[in-house]
Amino acid sequence: MATSSIQTSPASKMNSTPGAFPSTPASAEAPSPSVVSSQLSLSQAVHQRRAEYTRSRRIKVKVGTWNVASLSGTEKDVGGWFVDGKGVSESLSGLDLKDDGEPRSNGHNGSPDIESVASQEERRSKKRSTIPKNDPGFVPGGDEIGLYVLGLQEIVDISSVAEALRPYSDPHPGRKWKQAVAESLPHGYQRVAEQQLIGLFLVIYASSEIAPTISSVSTTSVGTGLGGYMGNKGAVTARIVLGETTRMVFVNCHLTAGVEKGNLERRNWDASQILQRTKFDPVYDGGGVMEEFGEGIGDEDFAFWFGDLNYRLESMPGEDVRRLLMLHTRNEYGAHGAQQPSSKKIENELAKPESLSFSRNQEAANRPSENDTSSTHISVGNASDPSVASSITVLPSQESLDPASDPASLQTTLSSLLAHDQLHSQMRSRKAFHDGWREGIIDFLPTYKYDVGSVGMFDSSEKQRGPSWCDRILYRTRKDRLDYDQKVRDEEMARKKDNEMKLQGVVDAVTDESVLFDYDPETDGADNENNAVNEQSPDPEFMTTKAGFEDKLSLDYYKSHQRVLSSDHKPLDAVFTLDYDAVDLEMKARIHQEVARELDRAENEGRPVVTIVVDHQKETDSTHTDSSSPKFEGVDFGHVKYDHVKTRSVTIANTGRVPATVGFVDRSIESGRPGGVAPPWLKIDFDRPPDNKNSNPGALQEHTLQPGDAVNVELTLHVDDLDLVRRLGDKVETLEDVLVLRIHNGRDYFLPLRGDWLQSAFGRSIEKLVRIPEGGVRRWQHQRPDGSSHGDEGVKWSAPREVFRLTEAIEDLVERALAQWGMTGDADNAPWDKDVGWPFRGWLMEGKQRAMLKETVREGLDSDQPFSETFPPEIDSLQRLEAVAETLVQFLESLEDGIVTEALWLELEKGMLEREKARKTLSEEDERMWILDTLSNAPAHSVSFTFVTFMLARVGNEVAPWNIPLECGKAEGVPAQVAPRMKRPEVNAAYAGIFADAMIRLPAASKGKERKASETRRKHVVEVFLKATLDDGS
Amino acid sequence: MSSRVSTGARPGARFAQFKLVLLGESAVGKSSLVLRFVKDQFDDYRESTIGAAFLTQTISLDDATTVKFEIWDTAGQERYKSLAPMYYRNANCAVVVYDITQASSLDKAKSWVKELQRQANENIIIALAGNKSDLVAEHPDKRAITTADAEAYAREAGLLFFETSAKTAENVRELFTAIARKLPLEQAGNRGMRANPRQGVDLRPEAPGTQGGGACNC
Ligand SMILES: Nc1nc2c(ncn2[C@@H]2O[C@H](COP(=O)(O)OP(=O)(O)O)[C@@H](O)[C@H]2O)c(=O)[nH]1
Ligand SMILES: [Mg+2]
Repeated sequence: MATSSIQTSPASKMNSTPGAFPSTPASAEAPSPSVVSSQLSLSQAVHQRRAEYTRSRRIKVKVGTWNVASLSGTEKDVGGWFVDGKGVSESLSGLDLKDDGEPRSNGHNGSPDIESVASQEERRSKKRSTIPKNDPGFVPGGDEIGLYVLGLQEIVDISSVAEALRPYSDPHPGRKWKQAVAESLPHGYQRVAEQQLIGLFLVIYASSEIAPTISSVSTTSVGTGLGGYMGNKGAVTARIVLGETTRMVFVNCHLTAGVEKGNLERRNWDASQILQRTKFDPVYDGGGVMEEFGEGIGDEDFAFWFGDLNYRLESMPGEDVRRLLMLHTRNEYGAHGAQQPSSKKIENELAKPESLSFSRNQEAANRPSENDTSSTHISVGNASDPSVASSITVLPSQESLDPASDPASLQTTLSSLLAHDQLHSQMRSRKAFHDGWREGIIDFLPTYKYDVGSVGMFDSSEKQRGPSWCDRILYRTRKDRLDYDQKVRDEEMARKKDNEMKLQGVVDAVTDESVLFDYDPETDGADNENNAVNEQSPDPEFMTTKAGFEDKLSLDYYKSHQRVLSSDHKPLDAVFTLDYDAVDLEMKARIHQEVARELDRAENEGRPVVTIVVDHQKETDSTHTDSSSPKFEGVDFGHVKYDHVKTRSVTIANTGRVPATVGFVDRSIESGRPGGVAPPWLKIDFDRPPDNKNSNPGALQEHTLQPGDAVNVELTLHVDDLDLVRRLGDKVETLEDVLVLRIHNGRDYFLPLRGDWLQSAFGRSIEKLVRIPEGGVRRWQHQRPDGSSHGDEGVKWSAPREVFRLTEAIEDLVERALAQWGMTGDADNAPWDKDVGWPFRGWLMEGKQRAMLKETVREGLDSDQPFSETFPPEIDSLQRLEAVAETLVQFLESLEDGIVTEALWLELEKGMLEREKARKTLSEEDERMWILDTLSNAPAHSVSFTFVTFMLARVGNEVAPWNIPLECGKAEGVPAQVAPRMKRPEVNAAYAGIFADAMIRLPAASKGKERKASETRRKHVVEVFLKATLDDGS
Repeated sequence: MSSRVSTGARPGARFAQFKLVLLGESAVGKSSLVLRFVKDQFDDYRESTIGAAFLTQTISLDDATTVKFEIWDTAGQERYKSLAPMYYRNANCAVVVYDITQASSLDKAKSWVKELQRQANENIIIALAGNKSDLVAEHPDKRAITTADAEAYAREAGLLFFETSAKTAENVRELFTAIARKLPLEQAGNRGMRANPRQGVDLRPEAPGTQGGGACNC
């Protein structure tokens, strides 16, 4: 039987706390599968049922951007174009026709009520909106839009150094804009985010229905301007979570201006900085728990990047582009508008023949009203360099032609110009905005740069800046980004494979196949269709969001508002339809509750269950019939005596459905008492090794039981600690306790222990022993603890009855034992010959039998029964003698005060020391007198001393009469020259040694020589009494 | 035990775990209250608890806050009194139960409260539950302790107070919910909670306060 015992000493306290049960056992054979629901499993389980609490929702998101050039009056226009969708020029924005050539806007086809360009420009004032009157609005707006996102640039003059170096943004301009937008929004829209960085301003409004579903709003700024950090350039950014599911990022930027190559590179750098340095706060997930990490751009589901990106048309002489485009814008003024300053300017410029590098009839070709069939071919740029040269072919329009292929159409012009768009080329060559960003089809004029106040007059200032699509709105879905990443990985793989094959030299052998892997981004990039600019895909697919929902984003409109006159940039906007799964909070709360309840139930039902069976034992070893609690549910040890071992067994069975790990844990006991898993008088043994066999012995022992498995636990009670015996005797302590058996992840079982202490004479003081009534110490059994009892009893005996009875029995038994040996024993091997200390040591009986017999002796003492009755009849005199003799020694040792108390001993030693110093010796007789005289201060002690020494002298006389030489009667082989020695002195010395130790109590040990001398004195005090020739000595 | 913080991006809930211990004289209905709270059941005859029953129950305070109780239902017998510190030592909250039809049970409850206030966690939330209110509904003369007296005591000692019935479920959920609301959610970080200071623009300035109401009767 493998046995592991639980430490009964106060064990490590760390395990004493419920809920802190030692974790999974070290042996992995039986991992505990108990269900423990945690936050994670709860939220996972809730998430799995998301279909039940999400509702697919559709909203329109409008993103607008405008560089307002810090011009006052621009705020008067924002409501008109951004909220109401006004100011789109029908003819200059590809609005008039859809792909199928059908009119696009309801009722707008040539709506005659719209204010003319001429009148619009004429009445322009900084105090009023420049938006054309009676414009019904082409781009959806008003309450059709769920989310309005507006990015403005240059709301303050960023060319001012003072502004650029400001440590904070001036909030006043922002307020002005918020007010302007809020006034034009329908009722109920709420501002959900805003961020300003000097001239950059981002503000987001949501409808009353959407606003409450927006959470985890985080906004931030990144400056990339002066020194790479100033806010005159850079971005303001917002991240929101829509419907608790959909993460959206909005970036409003203003990148470095300029047409030089360095400017282009700086723009790319600006963009990369914005990407890198934008960091949002962590998202609070569905329930409000903050995620571990903050996010950057790229972690969202949908991103929108807009603003004045400042990319230009590359390798295009600005004046040529201006003229070409003004061929289109001139038409806006119509017949009546010809007197308009803008119109005149345009006509003037177009009239300068020297500046035109294309033939005259081109003009006519671009008037849609005319029907000129002649073709025009313009060369733009340096024709001698084919790599930068490109040509624009403008053909006269034909009625039958689709505008997209109609060489004279606006769309054709735009397409040819767009081929030179820096942004598109940077995207293609993966220098910027290449990782999944898309843009809608540009079917509007470059948004920059116009004369303020004019619909179609491109920068007529000295600089005559080349028109460009500086202002853009890009977007990207999570899937776009992931697809891009995948593509890069695939390419990388292909390249690697290719290189490997080259290294292996197989490339020649498989030339044909190797082509598949032969990828060079420099040369192949532009041709690779995947590398093309991601334009609006016609039919966006649903994609999986970061949170695992299915969303879809499609672009509906991407328009500039050509007829907004208040800035040198035209504003533009894009309208998206977003289909997303939004969480219904009420439903989710309900599901959450349901899931929590289910998990709790599973957890509680899945807890390990054990059954504890206490093997009740009928008392056989006592007359005890205490029936005070017949249904005592714990372990009852019955009667417990001094130094008597009792065991009980308890079975722990796993009656549950999951493995159970069990162990006794440290009981928390009131202060002043030892803790540990069990009281000091109890040992716990399992019938199998613990799970953690190898751990340190102080560790708590756990046992894992499979369902249907059981373990037997043996509880061994043993009281041999004299302190405890005394406390039990004084009834200040009882043999009652509670073990706590903990089931890991389950409940605690209390296992009460009970033992009925039987009074014992052992461990008491002489003063108490002489008060024991007739009938023995057990008479005290049912008395109240201490106080009254013993005093009342009074002194009953001159010396403890126990001492008297034991010494008397020894005297009696020694004669019988010797006689017995004489008749049956081996004369040559008498125990007293083998050990001169016998019968007080050198016993014939082995320990176990002695222990048993000593118990009978003690029982005889404590219940005051004659030993002749308590000993089983088959026990012979010699055995009885040994048992009684040893009991006497132990009894004397157990006495609380000793027969010669510490005080008595000090007095004796003092006298002896004085004589030693004075070199005086007493005769043996005088010395005995002196000793007894000294002890007589404590009569009961003195009498006990006399009993013992008298008995010893008697026993000595029996086993070694004075006339018997030591070796007498020994084997023939003993050499004759060995003089026979007297045996008696050696016996005396042995007895004196044993009994001096048993009877005399010493003060705290002195050491070395002192101790040795003291020991000699002690032995002497006993031995001197053994030398007396007793009258019955012969 | 590693802290139970949600990792990754999976949506979950604001989640806090607390240890709750039930104390009180034997037979006042501690186990019955737990049974009602956890399983929504009631047994007329219940075996007395020998040891400490362990159960868990999760409640949602609002859509954003979930509180999971680890409940230790202790044996009320005098014999096991010395073991009680094991259970209340690390408890975040305690429900001290008495039987409103047994005057002596309130004395016992008061002594538990005293012990808790002396020995337990300094910030422990203690609720006093006067159980078996159903009994006095039918027979008002059975009442041994008036609501006013108990309420006055609870107020003085700084306890939450409810008169409950495990039998009819009256105030049982309210009792535990009130405790959950009073628990310091912000400080539960070690058990997997973080505060939720909504940043940026407050979207719901007028949102009805689900947190503030409180069901504390005292
Ligand atoms: N009428 C009534 N009886 C109850 C109520 N709660 C508990 N009891 C009964 O009181 C007895 C003791 O309940 P129990 O939960 O075991 O008490 P505990 O020792 O404190 O755990 C049982 O017979 C229960 O049925 C209650 O609200 N109303
Ligand atoms: Mg109970």
